[in-house]
Amino acid sequence: MNYQTPALRRALAGDYAVGLMPALAQRRFERLLLEDKALRAELAQWQTCLASMTETIPESPVAEHVWQRIKARIEPQPVTESAKRGWWNGLRIGVVACALAVAVVFGVIYNQDDSRYRATLLSDTAQAVFRIDAGADQLHIEALALTAITPAHSLQLWAIAAGSKPVSLGLIAETGRSTLKLDQAQSRLLGKAVVLAISLEPKGGSPTGQPTGPVLYKGALADL
Amino acid sequence: MARRRSVNGPSPFPTLFSDCNRSLASLNLIAWRTAISIAESDQLAQLLASTALGDRRAFETLYRSVSPRLHGIALRFMGRGDLAEDVLQESFVRIWHNASRYQMHLCAPMTWMINITRNQAVDHLRKQRERSLTDVEAQLLEDQSPSAHEQLSTAREAGALNRCLDTLEGMQRQSIAVAYFQGLSCAELAVHLEAPLGSVKSWIRRGMERLRRCLES
Repeated sequence: MNYQTPALRRALAGDYAVGLMPALAQRRFERLLLEDKALRAELAQWQTCLASMTETIPESPVAEHVWQRIKARIEPQPVTESAKRGWWNGLRIGVVACALAVAVVFGVIYNQDDSRYRATLLSDTAQAVFRIDAGADQLHIEALALTAITPAHSLQLWAIAAGSKPVSLGLIAETGRSTLKLDQAQSRLLGKAVVLAISLEPKGGSPTGQPTGPVLYKGALADL
Repeated sequence: MARRRSVNGPSPFPTLFSDCNRSLASLNLIAWRTAISIAESDQLAQLLASTALGDRRAFETLYRSVSPRLHGIALRFMGRGDLAEDVLQESFVRIWHNASRYQMHLCAPMTWMINITRNQAVDHLRKQRERSLTDVEAQLLEDQSPSAHEQLSTAREAGALNRCLDTLEGMQRQSIAVAYFQGLSCAELAVHLEAPLGSVKSWIRRGMERLRRCLES
């Protein structure tokens, strides 16, 4: 299609803005938008025109819990709990450390399988929080540090190849130790240069199939 | 701050095109709006810029100042308090993650945020329609949601907008409102308006063209 005619560009942007385009044309139009600044401006004119229809809709007060929920979505949960229970936490960290040590030993003994790639996922503060080993058809996740999330959330693991959308690899168990089975597409993806990232999602994982919450930890996957 | 990296640069998490690039200089369509709203606009743009840098306080201030307006809009789309709150919540999570994509010199902040809210609302409405049109919940939703006519008649109280909407023919006005507020696809619109697909398309296209020319004049 010829997108160079000003009238056609204007008409297409209008169709897109109001939602008249079929899904396929929509995706094509979105690709064009990426590289065409003037087309983005054209679209914006339509969006402003349409948004004016909301001008006299009355304001409506918002209950406080909405802000609390938004805050929970954008703020990562604290990594450790309050200092009041210091000795108890110390004990718990000790227990987890022992459990990790046992897990690693067993991992070494029993998982001499097919690990080909490894990633260490770091937090904002460059703390190593998860180690991930990937084989041909499965992926082992080990927590290296304590992470606390509310029961309303799950941690979800994503693989992101350069220039592509994130692909979900699955949810991380609350214990921090998981083995995820990989299907062929996921396995092929890990053969490419990918970054692994863990985002905070609503319980049960992202409802949209794409990350919706903040990325808490990430790291590049490297060949072993 | 590292968290913010996920939305900067070549983002691994692309979002819908919810940004707008409208020049503030050409805002003559709302000439009745005074310098006060432009000052407000500047303030919102500043808050968005701080939000883009990960400033949670600025984000909260932004939330406090625009959430009642966006909540009202979400309510009009969804027709139900709980769903409107969900839409509002998702919209602000998006605003937080995408604030760096907002370009102050090109776009009015409120338009940008309204558009994000509309995208969220329309996504919700579409998912609901896909899920089921026959279950009780959908029935309830339909009963409680304000009709496109009601939405439009409220909107028509505005001066400039009112004048411009008056230049549209009945079906043009109605079909644009239904498309905008309910996010119906072409085929759904034709069923909803009980008219041939071709007519619906041409009502919307001609109506939008007329509306835009009028608002910009």
